[in-house]
Amino acid sequence: MKYLKNSWQSRTFTVLLVSIVVSVLLVTLEQTQWAEQINQQGYSHSGGGDGQRNISTILMYVLPFVKEFILIGIPLGLALLVMKLITGLKFLVSRNKKG
Amino acid sequence: MSDWKENLHKTRYVMDVLLLFSFMLISAPQSTGIAAHEWLSLFFVVPLVIHLLLHWDWIKKSFLRLFTRIQGKERFSIIWNYLLYLLMLTVFVSGFLVSVALLPALNIDLNIQGFWSKIHHDSATLIMPMLGVHLALYWSWIVKLSKQMLKKKVQV
Repeated sequence: MKYLKNSWQSRTFTVLLVSIVVSVLLVTLEQTQWAEQINQQGYSHSGGGDGQRNISTILMYVLPFVKEFILIGIPLGLALLVMKLITGLKFLVSRNKKG
Repeated sequence: MSDWKENLHKTRYVMDVLLLFSFMLISAPQSTGIAAHEWLSLFFVVPLVIHLLLHWDWIKKSFLRLFTRIQGKERFSIIWNYLLYLLMLTVFVSGFLVSVALLPALNIDLNIQGFWSKIHHDSATLIMPMLGVHLALYWSWIVKLSKQMLKKKVQV
């Protein structure tokens, strides 16, 4: 772990300090009108509700991971596709310019 | 596989795999239970900080690189990574502010606000597609390192 040990104390301190400062700034969001509005309306999300009663125990443990694979995997695939398309378009444009 | 600690890229790869697995574990509170979700999230700080430390050079240079002539992909990647870090902090902060197991266990009582519950739920959902794009941006590196690591494994 020689790469991790390199100045790790000062670097960790810097990372934590920046993170704490940003976090404190984020906490001030609760003073905004937006936060007040949501608090007045009340909030509850439907996760873990009645819909889960009818599914098997195994599925109850597996489904959250399936949801993660979908939520991470589909944007990953789409981003790769977009990057390939951009590379292909760039190649076509540069070839047309030369031609 | 045994030499991964001596190679920066392999160290990053192993630590990133651990980071991804721990992220997926803490992102499924319905499977782990809320208490485990909150305690594991606290320990998730360790692989996350390790990830940042192993990319220290990138962190130092990336901001200034935004103001130079760089490729669109790199510019997008830098901004995306900053947003991902900000969103990760949002998930953390909101998560602590809606804690029902961790903070009460530490004798810290909080009045849980609907605002933070909404922020935590929404940011935790949004971070997954953002992570997907983050992985896509470094996909060629991931594929290259995966091949290298697997090749080593077969030779052993």
